[in-house]
Amino acid sequence: MSTAPASTIEAARSGDHLPRSFFEDCQRAFEAAAELVGEFDQCFQLGGYGVRLRFAGTALLENMSRAFAPAASASAHVPDLTICLWDSESSGCQPPRPQWREHRSLRGEVEGYNTTRFYTVYEHESGGFTLFDRERNLANVWVPAANRVPYWIKGSPLRTVLYWWMGLHQRQLVHAAAVGNRSGGVLIAGKSGSGKSTTALACLTAGMQYAGDDYVIVDQEPTTCVYNLYNTAKVCANHLHAFPQLRDLIDNPGKLDTEKALIFLSDGAFASRIVSGFPLRSVLVPRVTGLRDTRLKKASPALALAALAPTTMFAHPRGGEQDFKRVGDLVRAIPCYLLECGTDLQQIPLTITALLESSCREPLEAQA
Amino acid sequence: MNLSTQFRVNTPNVTHETIDGETVIVNLVSGNYYSLQGTGVLIWLLVERGFSVEAVIDWLKHRYPSKASEIEPCVLSLLGQLSEEDLIVPGAVPSSTPEAPSMNESVEGRFEPQALQKFTDMQELLLLDPIHEVDSAGWPHKKSDVTV
Repeated sequence: MSTAPASTIEAARSGDHLPRSFFEDCQRAFEAAAELVGEFDQCFQLGGYGVRLRFAGTALLENMSRAFAPAASASAHVPDLTICLWDSESSGCQPPRPQWREHRSLRGEVEGYNTTRFYTVYEHESGGFTLFDRERNLANVWVPAANRVPYWIKGSPLRTVLYWWMGLHQRQLVHAAAVGNRSGGVLIAGKSGSGKSTTALACLTAGMQYAGDDYVIVDQEPTTCVYNLYNTAKVCANHLHAFPQLRDLIDNPGKLDTEKALIFLSDGAFASRIVSGFPLRSVLVPRVTGLRDTRLKKASPALALAALAPTTMFAHPRGGEQDFKRVGDLVRAIPCYLLECGTDLQQIPLTITALLESSCREPLEAQA
Repeated sequence: MNLSTQFRVNTPNVTHETIDGETVIVNLVSGNYYSLQGTGVLIWLLVERGFSVEAVIDWLKHRYPSKASEIEPCVLSLLGQLSEEDLIVPGAVPSSTPEAPSMNESVEGRFEPQALQKFTDMQELLLLDPIHEVDSAGWPHKKSDVTV
């Protein structure tokens, strides 16, 4: 009688057997695809970590890496995280047939395939899946075909894996925008439609630094700061008139009847305003008032927590208590304000700049 | 509701934070989240620390003797809401001796009953069909004409 290897027994005991087996089969399929169509690697610094993207072929290259362009770095020879990306249409290689068809949540978590070590998510939009082995810092992202990748993923690719990875390293990917200047910056919290993107783009086009309009990374050690993740912005077509400077940068100009305008900011005059990050001075919760003037009011940390945490934790598979605690720590650490956004967009960057200047004059302890 | 009942926070399905006299509670299963202010925060903190219904009432009566007649209905009403929303469930808190919240954790000195505020916008998003009911920005962005 043969004896199972110790690692297999350990995996079975811990409930890892199914996801481990699926992950290994997918990883073998990726390596076979890379062998057939060639491997193309890109390395980035994201949230302070070296991330290596291994592409099997070039079909996914632009869709899944262009948004990271400003952080491109050749220094990740020993990456902290490696993500393997592949598709079946261009490689001719198929993943193992999933057995879970009816056992996945709306966020895509596959029942029986999510353990402490292995993360398994079905991606509803692309029909693909995202797998992560926490122990090996290795992810495998598969889609049936590159043309199944929706445009919004092109604007914020690999968000699921990066959300998991940052969370495991005490950094929090948050659903928020961030803008600033040499004095530091502000985090602009709020769910979709709250005025985040408009506020961020009003600041960008007025000359302020920009770390993101939708998803950024927050770190609280040793000091509270934010990292840029994507160099993109998404704008509703009916708001584009406010930002004529961005029109030439729209990636999907022919589809604005059904899609938001996807803008790659590193392609034009705004490239120098995209920064890798800055110290965070405040959290702002925007409200669109319909009035002309923009005003700031002191807000309770609980209001900022409610604006920032649920929309972050429920937008990501396996999101939960740790996000909530980290966002709680954030809103305790820095002052929070309600930003009543007026229709005169020029006032928004002026108001935020004035706040940042006053933050610099006051000791941080006094602000909190 | 029996006065001797002891409730506990419904972990791991529920997470919560109390900051500067306000409590935010999230039901991780339903997606609903809640806000408590005023004396509700104090009641939440007492329940979290293992006080039975009766002990919560007694503690508040001791702190607010002039409001004694209002306290029991206020506590029963709030605990009823918290229980209905599955934020607390009957059961003992692991720690042995309940310890009252310190003054700096609690809210203003006044007895100030306030209802549990409930927010359902995340639940609406969690219940969206990720293929057919999202707008062009993708899940979890809801189409404007979708009623969940």
